[in-house]
Amino acid sequence: MNVHQSTDHENMEAVAGGDLGRMDAIYRNRHRALLHFFFRLTGLQATSEDLVHEVFLRMIRYRETYRGTHADGGFESWMYRIARNALTDHARKHRNEAAPADGELETVPSGRPTPLEITAKRQDFARLHRALRELPEEKRELLVLARFQDLSYERIGAILGCGAGTVKTRVFRAMKELGNIYTELCREKAS
Amino acid sequence: MTCEHAKELMAAAWRSELDRASQPAFRQHLDTCAECGAEIAALGKLWEGLADVPAPEPSQALHARWQSTLASLIPVEHKPWLARFWPRNPAWQVGIALACLLLGLLAGASAPRHDSEIAKLHDEISSTRAMVALSLLQQESATERLRGVNYTDRMKTMEPEVVSALVEAVSRDANVNVRLAAIDALGKAAAYPGVLQSLTRALPQQDSPMVQAAIVDYLADAHDRQAVGTLRQLASQPDLNPAVLQRTNFALQQLSR
Repeated sequence: MNVHQSTDHENMEAVAGGDLGRMDAIYRNRHRALLHFFFRLTGLQATSEDLVHEVFLRMIRYRETYRGTHADGGFESWMYRIARNALTDHARKHRNEAAPADGELETVPSGRPTPLEITAKRQDFARLHRALRELPEEKRELLVLARFQDLSYERIGAILGCGAGTVKTRVFRAMKELGNIYTELCREKAS
Repeated sequence: MTCEHAKELMAAAWRSELDRASQPAFRQHLDTCAECGAEIAALGKLWEGLADVPAPEPSQALHARWQSTLASLIPVEHKPWLARFWPRNPAWQVGIALACLLLGLLAGASAPRHDSEIAKLHDEISSTRAMVALSLLQQESATERLRGVNYTDRMKTMEPEVVSALVEAVSRDANVNVRLAAIDALGKAAAYPGVLQSLTRALPQQDSPMVQAAIVDYLADAHDRQAVGTLRQLASQPDLNPAVLQRTNFALQQLSR
């Protein structure tokens, strides 16, 4: 269980009860994870930050619909459902805008020691980024939730509305497809 | 174990969610199935590689935007204007309270006195209390009449109408408790003209030994020698309560001194 889960459940109950000030504690606990979630799906920091802001606004707007409990990781599931809806709405509004090409993906300093290694790693990351972006949307989202967001398969199942077993099977298939795309990109680079 | 089942378990193994019971069969399958063994090795490496894909840190602009949004959403607490100037430090609060008290005392001491107005105000208050007491004494409920009698205790001096109403209560009220309370209330009105005579007249009419005893005590305390005849008549009654007889004889002794 995420260390913030029970705390944020209580915070969100207080927010639902009218104490909007407690929303700041939730923001401090969750904004980074949400930013990474959106960034790995969109590849754009500014857009991701817009979406993070939108998620917290929606949490406030729909606070009275919050029905989470400690036991079922209700807060996290609720938050990611809002995040997925925000992303879907954003994609619908910006349907006509071109997605960033490989070279346009915003790079993030990796902190590696030597310039050569940094370059090599960046190329590797860029290929992984591109492979992720070439995955169908639902598979990309599934891998981001499973690999980066520190969520158990059971909780991902709660977010997506399916069982943990189904999530595992779909994660395997998504990884296999990612592997195929990544291998193809490596071949392109070599040739 | 089938390859399909092994693939499901691969996803669990990457996240270290593989339960102990499944591990031996899973390992055995990987050892015997080259395809699954190769797959878990290659995809496991990719899974690990994904962990290193960096993600940006939130910008200061995001924090500033959030703080601004939150501040605009939280309703501003409107304090009374005086509360804005009221210090939070208790020492300051006590200091201000004492200063206000001192100012009040000084202002009161230096203000011109209006004794006649104050006296008039006292009179008005007394009249109001008397009205309340009289009103209560006329109620049907014994509890209300009892309240009316008790209300007269708050009066420093009794209005003649109130004394009259209390005497009437001793003589005629149907409730013993009201009569007893009225006798007590008349304790500070013994000097009023006619009170002792009225109570002396009321004594033979009483059927309650407690009220009889209370009137006897009242007359003795007031040293009303004019009541001696009535007290003797009472003492001569053959069916008089022994306790009342004892008190009456005691009163007669006091009044004969």
